[in-house]
Amino acid sequence: MTTTVKTPRPVVQADPEVRAIHRRMLRRQRLSRAMVHLIAILLSLWVLIPIWFTASMALTSPTTVRSYPKSVLPFIPFSTDTMEFFLKSRGILPGITNSVVVAVLTLALSTLIAAPAGYAISRYIFRGRDAFRLSILAVRAFPIVVLSIPLALIFIRLNIYDNVFSLAMMHTALALPTTILVLSSVFASIPYELEEAAQIFGCSPAQAFRRIVLPLVLPGIAASALFTFVLSWNDVFAASILAPLENRTLPVQILITLDESSEPYQFAGGFFMLIPALIFIFFIRRYLFNMWGQITK
Amino acid sequence: MKTISSPKGSKRRIWAPYLLILPSLVYLAMFFAYPMVNGLLLSVREDGALLTLRAEAQRDSLKTGQIPRGAQVSILDQQGNLIAPEELALGNLVTEGWFQIRGQDPAGETIEGWAPETRIRVRETNESGLPVAGTVRPRIGSDDVFTTVHAEPKENSEALGSLEAQTPVEILDQVTLEVWYRVRGQVEDQPIEGWVQSRYLQVTGDGTQGRVNRGDTSQYTTKYFQQMINNRFFWPALRTTLLLMAIIIPVQFVLAIIMALVIQANPRGAGFFLYIFTITLGVSDLAVGIVWYSVFTQFGYLNSILQGLGLISGPITYLSAAKQDWIIMAIWLAEVWRATAIVMVIVVAGMQAISREVLEAAEVFGATLWQRIRYVILPLLRPSLQVALILRTILAFQVFAVVVVLSGGDVVTVLANETYRQYYDLRNANVAAAYASLILLLSMFTAIVYLRVVRSQEEVAE
Amino acid sequence: MAEIKIEHVTKRFGNFVAVDDVSLTVEDQEFTVLVGPSGCGKTTLLRAVAGLGMADEGRISIGGRDVTYLPPRERYISMVFQSYAIFPHMNVFDNIGFGLKVRKVEKLELERRVREAAELLHIEDFLDRYPKALSGGQRQRIAVARAIAMQSQVLLMDEPLSNLDALLRLEMRAELKRLLQEIGATTIYVTHDQVEALSMGDRIAVMRGGAILQYDEPSVVYDMPANQFIGSFIGNPPMNFLRAQVQREDGRVNVRIGSFTLTPSDGMLPVLKAYDGKPILLGIRAENTEILNHQAHDALEVKILVVEPLGSQNLLTAQIGEETIKVSTHPNLAVRLGEVVWLRFPTDKIRWVDRDSGQVLYP
Repeated sequence: MTTTVKTPRPVVQADPEVRAIHRRMLRRQRLSRAMVHLIAILLSLWVLIPIWFTASMALTSPTTVRSYPKSVLPFIPFSTDTMEFFLKSRGILPGITNSVVVAVLTLALSTLIAAPAGYAISRYIFRGRDAFRLSILAVRAFPIVVLSIPLALIFIRLNIYDNVFSLAMMHTALALPTTILVLSSVFASIPYELEEAAQIFGCSPAQAFRRIVLPLVLPGIAASALFTFVLSWNDVFAASILAPLENRTLPVQILITLDESSEPYQFAGGFFMLIPALIFIFFIRRYLFNMWGQITK
Repeated sequence: MKTISSPKGSKRRIWAPYLLILPSLVYLAMFFAYPMVNGLLLSVREDGALLTLRAEAQRDSLKTGQIPRGAQVSILDQQGNLIAPEELALGNLVTEGWFQIRGQDPAGETIEGWAPETRIRVRETNESGLPVAGTVRPRIGSDDVFTTVHAEPKENSEALGSLEAQTPVEILDQVTLEVWYRVRGQVEDQPIEGWVQSRYLQVTGDGTQGRVNRGDTSQYTTKYFQQMINNRFFWPALRTTLLLMAIIIPVQFVLAIIMALVIQANPRGAGFFLYIFTITLGVSDLAVGIVWYSVFTQFGYLNSILQGLGLISGPITYLSAAKQDWIIMAIWLAEVWRATAIVMVIVVAGMQAISREVLEAAEVFGATLWQRIRYVILPLLRPSLQVALILRTILAFQVFAVVVVLSGGDVVTVLANETYRQYYDLRNANVAAAYASLILLLSMFTAIVYLRVVRSQEEVAE
Repeated sequence: MAEIKIEHVTKRFGNFVAVDDVSLTVEDQEFTVLVGPSGCGKTTLLRAVAGLGMADEGRISIGGRDVTYLPPRERYISMVFQSYAIFPHMNVFDNIGFGLKVRKVEKLELERRVREAAELLHIEDFLDRYPKALSGGQRQRIAVARAIAMQSQVLLMDEPLSNLDALLRLEMRAELKRLLQEIGATTIYVTHDQVEALSMGDRIAVMRGGAILQYDEPSVVYDMPANQFIGSFIGNPPMNFLRAQVQREDGRVNVRIGSFTLTPSDGMLPVLKAYDGKPILLGIRAENTEILNHQAHDALEVKILVVEPLGSQNLLTAQIGEETIKVSTHPNLAVRLGEVVWLRFPTDKIRWVDRDSGQVLYP
């Protein structure tokens, strides 16, 4: 009874030639997708295989580490002996403690100092804002190598040389620019309207910040803190200049004893240093791109 | 009616951002700008290079000239001078002590004045160890039994009288004086004469000769840079650093752009691939060195695999002093492996900023994949690539632990490694600072060149 | 000849069916507008034609050539994007000439065609400027010029006017229409704005939920909507729909709205017979209603609730029982709030709607 003005359905011709074209097109599409996949997998292997090697060496017995030729298959036999040997070596546990203390101090200090600056950049337009941003970028670009030696001499003069706190202060100086930029991008991702709305509904600016902005930016702040941790954990050069004696961090301990140490010790050490990277980068990968997007602007 | 924000409030607000950035500015000034300036000065300024000679034994007296550190001088005269108590801790001081004493001279008159410490034997001290009484010493090898008492603790001050040896005296006070020497030396064949403090001199022999141990004035010098350049590791280090940059950076950019394009194509599991590609961002260069050491070491994976494939019959040593090329290749692979991630992250971030419709437009209007990359993607990525290039170049000057691990420290060496060696092994902070300054100069130079090149291209385009 | 033929095209995103078995033919040189609310699948369908998102099923052919799975560059089409997609790093000339350049059109020819397109859009003075320095309206013109310069037989437009302000949109609408008549390309134009659809298209296809509900000339779609949704979506104000009841009295089929009885046109009687004793919807456009200030046997008593003077007309909202109806009147007609007036519905303007299916009933 009811009629619509819908176009009548034409029958698709089951023309074998047309179908062949379809098949070819689909194959071509699938082929290019497969190519992309293949390249992605090859590049992933390029990243993963060396890690795989080191992990296999670290997680087997010291005898296997010394054996030759080595099996490409990992963990045969699986053993924690190498890791235990490494962790029980002289200076390693204190080194780990120092590394963690320095990294935690660094992340606390840099977050505390950088958060207000990041907020200011993302929320206010003020005279000197661009100059501030630019100088931060410039600081980011200065080499660590240049900073370490004068700082070491200053610390010697102030009698705070070879000290985890002074090393943390140095690391904070290195991490600060990055942290400021990351945090400003984190704050920028929270619309200012939210804060304004909170103020309209009766919050003071401080309350609006604490109750609205802070809960929203906490994951971002955590990500930047993890990044700072990794940065501090990985530093070899500054740490070996500023604290090479009684308060060596883990990388410094490994570096300084490199010549006289055995291969199982070295591989276990290398693997141990890799672990935070593997874990933390996973959690912060999303923010890495925010941060660099911000910097390129 | 209440207004939500008064004009007054909004005016006050202007200050907020400055207060918020203040901690960062102060921190960076203290821990960044100040040491940076210090570091540059360290490489070009020699502390205490010159010693100032004075007309009289007073610090504020007229200068008679300056004499370089290490110069030989002859000592003409000497005199004690008061110094501040906190300076007593300085090393290399020659001091003399004076006592204020009271005693009776042979005539039975009470004399109160100053005599050198060497002329008084202390007999009694109070509870805090300060001398309170003593006797006058006889002068050894001299017939003169009298000791002169001075009005001031100075050899050339007015003599108030003299005391006989063995006279008991009360000790009222004591001071320590630093000895000043009147010296004569040669500067550029001109004789020069004046007073200097003992702290700057090394007195030799019988006390008539001395050497300027350190100066009180610093001097700008190129000697640290000269020392750096004359070091036998300098040219190899510079050459290797530049060579590594030249072979690492192009490969990294190609790889990073491929990675970014793969991510852009959004294959299944793109998130996973992205994570894998970024892992090395968090790996320290020491760990990277060890990771690749496991491949290239004599009993490592490369030999194991080659032997497994039957290509070699026994392990080959790659990382030995005789095989620098292999070491450089290992460093090359390790650095490409490690630092491609940062370039990739910057490039991906840049690609994400390109509007999707712009890329689709290029596609609809008939551009092939290569044409899209060439005409649209790469030009739009230029700011990102520029940032990445500057950053990568600067980081390339800092390659350090990878080189130490893979070359054992001196077979193949780079600038950062030499900085470390000068500071840590050779304890020569100035030359280390010279290396650091060189690295800084090279970094800034390349950054400026990149910015210039890119800008002039834009000018041509506009 | 560049007829676009879409046959049984389906496109899914995961479990969501964005385009559901759609068939549509756009004749050579015809201007078809795809219109519908957001999420109806119109852009997805357009992108399938462009090759930016391949169809999962079905076939798309352009000028008789099957292009379903061809990449965009092999379809020889051009397109105007919603965000214009101007290349920010190229000046206006290079933007317009981009498609020609990558297709390796000879240099002189390229320059001639770029200038021609720029002149058509009145942007010949900006050719060496960069997009940064241009206004939204000028960028829009670049996007159109770039599409036109290709001289391809098929032109796709994805909400090209939606980012312009109201005044500029009105101006560009007329200009685009003139331009497209001039160049005579087969065009598919996607919009969510029904006014654009009505004013520009040779034919409009109304989409909803991934399907085409009606595909016809604008006047037909406006006047004889296929269903209740189209009646309310196309036209402003939307078509009124009143609840009614079909009743057979004395051998005649009548429709009751409350206590008011209305006699349908003769043509509809056979259709309405089937609805005897059942509820039905009466559809009437605001401007098709006559307003009387006195009672009449064929007029319905209503009370005025709202008066909205719109300049060229007054829009009244009136109460009928528990329902409201929009009526547009001459601006000089004086009515007061709360006043009681009478409405007459010309029987040939009434559309009858099946209440269950929402389909409009036609003889």
